[in-house]
Amino acid sequence: MKIAYYPGCVAQESGKELDMATRWVCRNLGIELVEFPNFSCCGSGFVDEANEVLNIAINARNLAIAERAGLDMLTICSTCQGMLTLAQVRMKDPKVKARVDGALKPLGIEYRGSVRVKHLLRVLTEDIGLPALRAKVRRPLNGMKVGAFYGCHLLRPADEMGSESAEEPHSFEDLLAAVGATPVEYRGRVMCCGFPIQFVKPSTASAIAGRQILDAKSHGADAMATPCPLCHLSLDAYQNKAEQEVRTPLGMPVFHLPQVVGLALGASPEELGLSRHLVPTDGALAKVRPAARA
Amino acid sequence: MAPETISAPFDIYRFSPGKDSAPRYQRYVLEVTPHTPVLTALLKIRAEVDPSLSLRYSCRSSICGSCAMQINSKSRLACETHIGPEVAKHGRVVLEPMRNQPVLRDLVVDQRPFWKEYERVEPHLKLDPRRPMPEGKPTSMSPAQVERFYETPRCIACAACFSACPAVEADPGFPGPMALAKLYRFVVDPRDTATQDRLVKIQPNGLWLCLRCHLCTEACPKDVRPSERIRDLKQLAIEAQGGTETGSRHAIGFKENLKGAGQLNEMKLVRATSGLGGMLGQVGQGIRVWRKKPEIMKRPRRIEGMDELDRIYAALDPPPKEER
Repeated sequence: MKIAYYPGCVAQESGKELDMATRWVCRNLGIELVEFPNFSCCGSGFVDEANEVLNIAINARNLAIAERAGLDMLTICSTCQGMLTLAQVRMKDPKVKARVDGALKPLGIEYRGSVRVKHLLRVLTEDIGLPALRAKVRRPLNGMKVGAFYGCHLLRPADEMGSESAEEPHSFEDLLAAVGATPVEYRGRVMCCGFPIQFVKPSTASAIAGRQILDAKSHGADAMATPCPLCHLSLDAYQNKAEQEVRTPLGMPVFHLPQVVGLALGASPEELGLSRHLVPTDGALAKVRPAARA
Repeated sequence: MAPETISAPFDIYRFSPGKDSAPRYQRYVLEVTPHTPVLTALLKIRAEVDPSLSLRYSCRSSICGSCAMQINSKSRLACETHIGPEVAKHGRVVLEPMRNQPVLRDLVVDQRPFWKEYERVEPHLKLDPRRPMPEGKPTSMSPAQVERFYETPRCIACAACFSACPAVEADPGFPGPMALAKLYRFVVDPRDTATQDRLVKIQPNGLWLCLRCHLCTEACPKDVRPSERIRDLKQLAIEAQGGTETGSRHAIGFKENLKGAGQLNEMKLVRATSGLGGMLGQVGQGIRVWRKKPEIMKRPRRIEGMDELDRIYAALDPPPKEER
C-alpha cells in the first residue's frame, strides 16, 4: 500500500528513533511512505487552545496536501492523529468550514474531506491485518510482558476519533499478542501520560506519568509500549522525574509501537534506535525466550 | 416468554473507615436479565441478601446524579449501566466507590472536595448592581447566545468527571472538569458582568492544569463535554489576559513558534514558556536528554510552502472579535 507519511515534529527531532523504526517496519511490510516536505506541525493541541480556527486551518492545509496527491495519511503520534482528525470533524460545521475556506481559498487550497487519517496502529491492525503480520514474525517476543499505553488522542473523544472503544480498547493488545508478546492489562493504559502540563507544572505531570508506570509495573509489565512520542518523552525521558514523584525506583523500559513490531520482524536494536532511550531496554529484551526449534 | 437470565457475579467494595482495618471485596451472585441496571441489582442485594451494604441513590432515572460509582473501573451512573455488557466483557461486575473523594462507607463517598471546587468558581450570575434586572419581565437571549453554553446546563453534578480526572487525582489544586465547565457557562452568559474577573481568578493553579485527556468527556453521562468547554475557556482566558501564566505562555508560545519554520523548535518553546530563568532550572534534565537525543538543540528544517502558513496566520490570528 501507498500512503502519505506524516511523521510529526517529535519523530523528526528528539524522537528520531520512532521515525527510524517506522521506516524499517513499513519497508518490511510493503508499505510505501510518500513524503511531503510541505507538511507543517499539527499544533499539538496547544495551538488549538490559543486559537481554535487557526489550528483547524493549519491542519486543513496538511490534509489538502495529501488529498491533492490522492493519498490517505499515516500518523505515528496520537496527538497528530487527534489534531488532524479533530480538524476534519470540526470542519463539518459549515460556519467553521467557511472561515477556514476564507483563509485557504485565496492560496488556492481547499480541503474537500476525502482523506482518511490513520495511525500506524490502525494500518497494522486493519490494513495489513494481524494474520499477515503474524506470518512475517521472525523472532516472536515470547516471554516479554508488555503494557500497552494508548495515549489520549488516539482514543478520545471517542465519538470523534472513532474506530474502537475508548474505555476498553484492545487493538494494541491484539497487536502485541500477534508479535508474540504477552499483553498486560492495567487501568493506566488508557490514562494520560501527563505530558501536556510538563511545562506548566512538572511535579504534577511527572506524578501522573509515575502512577501509570507504577500501575503497569505492579501488573507485571517488563516494558511498556506507546503509539505516541509525547507519551514516550513523558514515560521514558522524564521517568527519572516520575520516580521522584512516586518515590519508587521504576526502571521501566518504554518502546515506541513500531520498535516492538520491528524487533519481532527481525530488526536489530541499532536499526530501531533503542540506544537513544533514557531507560535501557536490555532488561526487557532479555525476557524474550529463544524460539523453540521447529 | 420469560426473558433470558444470566448468573452475574458482583465484587463489591466494602469498607467502614474506623471500623474495618482494610477494604475488602465481597462477592454476590445474582440471577438477572442482561438489561438489568446495576442499581437495580444493588437494591436487590440490599433488600434480599445483605442489608448492611451502603450506597447513595435517589431517582433511578439518570436525573439526580446520586448513584455514580466505578463500574469495572469506569466512572458511571449505576442506574443506566446494564449488567449484560459488563459481564460479557469482564466476566463479572466490580463495583467501587468513586475516585478522588474519601470513602465514607462502602460505595458512598464524601463529596465535599467536589462541591468545594464547585463553590470556588462562584456558579451564579453576577449582575451589575447599577443595572438591576427589570422586575416582572423576562430577560431575553438570542438563540446564538444560548447556543454557546447549550450543553453545560445539562450537568447533573454526579461527579463522574471529577472521579475520572487524572489532574484532580494528582493535584488537589485543580478544580476539576465540572467546576470549569460550569465556570464557562457563566463566562459566556451575556447577562453576567464578572467575565474578566472570573477569567483572571481561575488561571493560577487552575485552568492550565487541564491535560485535555478527554477522560471527563468520556465519563460524562449527559454529554456536557467538559474538556471541550475547558478548551474554550483557555482561549477566552488568553484573549482576556494574554500570557500571564505558564500555561497560557506555553499555548501562545507554541502558536508563535510555528511561524518560524512550520515545525516545532523545541528549545525556542522552552524559552518562551519558562523564560531564561526557568530554562536554567531545567539544564540538568536537558543535558541528560541531550546526551541521548542531541536533536533537542537542533533548529527544525523550514517546511516548503512556509509562505502559505504565514498567510493563514495573517488571515486568522488573532481571531476577529465580532465573530466570537
